[in-house]
Amino acid sequence: MSDPPAQLIVVDDDPINRRLLASYLEREGHAVATANDGRAGWELVRSRPFDVVLLDVLMPEMDGYQVLERIRGDEDLRHLPVIMISSVEDMQSVVRCIELGADDYLPKPFNPVLLRARIAAGLSRKRLHDLEREYLEQVEHVVTAASAVEAGTFAPDALDGVAGRDDALGTLARVFSHMAAEVQARERALKRQVQELRIEIDRTRADRQVEEITGTDAFRDLQRRAAELRSR
Amino acid sequence: MSRVVAVHSFRGGTGKSNTTANVAVMAARRGLRVGVVDTDIQSPGIHVLFGIDQATIGRTLNDHLWGRCAITEAAVDVTAGLDPTLEGRVFLVPSSIDAGDIARVMHDGYDVALLHEGIRTLVDELRLDLLLLDTHPGLNEETLLSIAVSDTVVVVLRPDQQDYEGTSVTVSVARRLQVPHMLLVVNKTPAVFDHADVEERVRAAYDCEVAAVLPHSDDLMAYSSQGVFSLSRPDHPVAAMYDALAARIVG
Repeated sequence: MSDPPAQLIVVDDDPINRRLLASYLEREGHAVATANDGRAGWELVRSRPFDVVLLDVLMPEMDGYQVLERIRGDEDLRHLPVIMISSVEDMQSVVRCIELGADDYLPKPFNPVLLRARIAAGLSRKRLHDLEREYLEQVEHVVTAASAVEAGTFAPDALDGVAGRDDALGTLARVFSHMAAEVQARERALKRQVQELRIEIDRTRADRQVEEITGTDAFRDLQRRAAELRSR
Repeated sequence: MSRVVAVHSFRGGTGKSNTTANVAVMAARRGLRVGVVDTDIQSPGIHVLFGIDQATIGRTLNDHLWGRCAITEAAVDVTAGLDPTLEGRVFLVPSSIDAGDIARVMHDGYDVALLHEGIRTLVDELRLDLLLLDTHPGLNEETLLSIAVSDTVVVVLRPDQQDYEGTSVTVSVARRLQVPHMLLVVNKTPAVFDHADVEERVRAAYDCEVAAVLPHSDDLMAYSSQGVFSLSRPDHPVAAMYDALAARIVG
C-alpha cells in the first residue's frame, strides 16, 4: 500500500505562479492547497495539518516573513518545514528568511529538479519529526500508565495503541500491560480473600486442647502457685 | 509501676522475637528501663537481635534456674551496643545456646518459684519499668510458667486460619491462669487487608483488646535478624507502630 499523498500548501499572490506551482506539485503526486495572500495562507496553515509550506516572500496583507515568523512562534507549527519561493534574489532577503527559520529558499522561476529535491527533503524532515513526536507521546502513555498502576486506576486497554508497535517501545508496552494485568488479577484475588476473611475456630477441638493442657495436676499446681505468688 | 509482660505466640514464625525487641527499644527510647528475658529456653534467639553472639554470652537464665548465679549476674546491659543515645536502658538475660544446657532444662524442667523470684529480683535491682519475657511458641510447661508469672500477656498472631485456633487456645489458657491483662498483636498483615476490619474481627473473635495490627513489611523482612529494625529505620512507618505498641503495653 502506497503512502497517502503529502499535504502541501502554496501561498503566493501571483495567480500564474500559484497555478503553475500547484499543478506541477499535483503532477508529482502531492495534494495541494493554495492561498492568495499571507493572511489567507496563515489561516489555512492553522486550520488543518500540512507537511510542507511553500511561501512567497512579497505579498499584500501579510508578507512571507510575517507568516514564517508566526509559524515559528506557534507551539504546534514550529517544526513545519517552510520553503521560501520568491523572485527576490538579493542575499539580504535569503539571509533574513534563514534567520527567521526557513528550511530552504528557492528562486522564481522554479527549477523543477531542485524543487523536487527540496520538497523531498522537507517531507522527510517532517516525517522524522512526526515519528519523534509520536514516539515521545507514546513514551508518555507508558509513563502515565505506570502512574495509573501505582494509583490503582490502570485500564487494561490503556496501552493498546503503543503495544501495536514493532519496536522496543512496543515490546515494553506489551510486557508492561501483561504484568500490570497480572498484578491487578492478583490484587483482585487478594481483595476477594479479604472479604472472605472469617476467623473460623473449631471450638470443640480448641476446647479439647485447652482441657488437655489445663486438666492436668501439673497445671492445677501451676495455677495455684501462680495465684499464690501474685497474692504476695 | 513496673510491668512484667510475656510475649507469646502459639506457632513459630509470627515475628514474636522481633516484636519483643522492637517494643523493648521503643520503650527505652521513651526513657524507660527495660529488661528482656529470653525464656525460650528450647530455641533461644532474641540475643542475636541485640547484637550478642555465642562468644559474648556469659551467664544465662539457665545458670540462674540451676542455682549457679543470681539472675542479675546473667543480665547484660545492651544499651550501648544498640544506641548509646537511648534515653532509657535495655538489659538482656539470654538463654544458653549450649545444646547440653538446652537438653538438660528440657529433661529436668525448673521451678516456677525460681523464675518468679528471678523476675522480681531483676525488676527491683535493675529498677525496671518494663520486663518482657520472650517465650517459646506453643504451650509447653516452661511457657505456661512464663505466662503464669506475668502481669500482661501479649499474644502475637498472623491473620491466617492456622493461627486463629492456636490463639484461641492460648487466650483460654491464659484466662485460666488469671493473667491480669491480655493484648493481641496481629502481625505480618498483608497490605491489601483493611487493618481496621482485621482489628475488629480479631477483637470480636477473642473478646480481647487488639493492641496493634502490624503490616507485612518487606523492609522489615529484609532486615530481620541483623538487629532491631526500629533503631535502624526510626522514620519507617513500622517503627512508629512499634512505638505506639510500646506505649500501649506500658499503659
